[in-house]
Amino acid sequence: MLIRLAIVLAAMPVALVLHLEASSIAPLLIVTALTVLTALMPGSAGAALLIGYAALAMAFADGHPLRLGVLVVIPALHLIHVTSALAAVVPVKTKVELAALKAPARRFAIVQAITFGVTAFAAVIPSGAEIGLVEVLGLGALTVVIGVVALRI
Amino acid sequence: MSRADKIREAFAQSHGAHWHPADAYSRAVWLGVGLVVGGMFLHQVELVLFGVPLVLSVLLTHKPKGTPTVSVRPVPRGAGLGTVHTVAHVDGADAEIAVVKLPGGVKAVPAHSPDLPVEIRRDAWGPGVDLRLDHLFAGPDGMHVYGPIVGVEHVRTILPPVEHHPSGPLPPRPAGLVGIHRSPRAGDSTELRDIRAFQPGDRLKRVDWRVTTRTGVLHVRERHAEADAEVVLALDTRADVGAEVADWSSPHRGATTRPGGSLDRAVRQAASMAAGYLRQGDRVALTDLSRPQLNVRSGVGRRHLMRIRTQLVVCVQAAGWSSYVTLRKLPHGSVVVLLSPFLDDDVAELAVQTRKHGHVVLAINTLPMPLKPDRETPWGEVAAEMIAAEHRLRLRRMAEHGVAVTREC
Repeated sequence: MLIRLAIVLAAMPVALVLHLEASSIAPLLIVTALTVLTALMPGSAGAALLIGYAALAMAFADGHPLRLGVLVVIPALHLIHVTSALAAVVPVKTKVELAALKAPARRFAIVQAITFGVTAFAAVIPSGAEIGLVEVLGLGALTVVIGVVALRI
Repeated sequence: MSRADKIREAFAQSHGAHWHPADAYSRAVWLGVGLVVGGMFLHQVELVLFGVPLVLSVLLTHKPKGTPTVSVRPVPRGAGLGTVHTVAHVDGADAEIAVVKLPGGVKAVPAHSPDLPVEIRRDAWGPGVDLRLDHLFAGPDGMHVYGPIVGVEHVRTILPPVEHHPSGPLPPRPAGLVGIHRSPRAGDSTELRDIRAFQPGDRLKRVDWRVTTRTGVLHVRERHAEADAEVVLALDTRADVGAEVADWSSPHRGATTRPGGSLDRAVRQAASMAAGYLRQGDRVALTDLSRPQLNVRSGVGRRHLMRIRTQLVVCVQAAGWSSYVTLRKLPHGSVVVLLSPFLDDDVAELAVQTRKHGHVVLAINTLPMPLKPDRETPWGEVAAEMIAAEHRLRLRRMAEHGVAVTREC
């Protein structure tokens, strides 16, 4: 129950940001429905739909690519992924020792640190319509490099 | 390979005792790569940034290896009722989280945590499963899973408890050598048993001339046999009923017998009586009225008590309705203790016939009284009263034929 509650808590900022950036109540309803589905059935496609929908909605919304809403949603979506992954392997009425969550929490922090490093890098490189492809390709390549290095570590 | 076989194989690959990727792994790979690549082609930095944590979570984790196990320190199988403590040892190998189903509930612990205390409650006698630790191991971030595994069943057999009954005022005896109760049959000892009229076959040296001259009829002196009393505990395992008449037709689940039911009371009483008689040095046998193959021959001593208690469990395991009841190979002049709810005439008739054959018969009623009628049917009270009246008649009839009857056990 604790981990499922964490899914709901992680989805709340996502719902809030999407609701503030949208002109209708539809995104809030969709995120709420997908959150309920994910919390009840964490092994289902609910988590993937929730993350995918929120990512696309944020990407195609108006505003700066690195606005505050995006920075809030990045860790929230990752947290939804991690908590639903753990909730899928733990039955509902399970007594979870907090020590069991120490390693996932540490890994979450490492991933977020790297991700915000990438975000910072994206913030300082020049952007524009004519060099956008290079910019995005560079980010992708950087992700791969970081990933390979992380694997060796 | 047919389509069904392929589906079955795919299903088997996603479960069981090997490491296999979970849904979270597929989500992280496909969604992460999809967002990063989609962001690159659509020129959307946000999509890339949303996909990066998912890709990184895959790259930072690895597929675990090794065989994680959960083992339990064995518990004595024959220990009595109550609470038993043991520990479960979790060997997580490469796993990160272990999810173990303990008697108190499911617990998620670190895969390399110290031994988990396990409390086993043993509420009822009889055979049963003490513990079965179903478990599952999860790799980093729950992306790979080992299991779920159905744990090994730790079975136990709890013997029926023995309640020590107070013994009556008994004469001094060489304890442990001979029984306190003498066999009622005639024999060659020096102790006088009876003076009766002469019968063909009696020895002339046994003629009691004083009584013969006084009465004018030839009389002989009969002496006791040099043997201990043989007590036969006869158990009626055909019915297991409680005080609630409505529950009689429904099976009881969760225990070998209905707690407080007729069979439970009969077995507890039989074990306690066997202990009491054996402690006094008497020879005790056990017989199942409807399954003679389960009988235990008469014997003495503490090991014999264990044998009887063990066989009582076996009798209860084989319990069920039978169309006949019988008492075979009763030693001459034995004391028969009949434990039954006396719900049919057959067992009452058997008690009377056994008495007529010269045995001392003690009928112990194990039917819980008073009966509680079925409230869901208008005939419930009438039915319960009819059953109780028939039961009373049976007990009275047995008493009239010389059977010692106890109405409550």
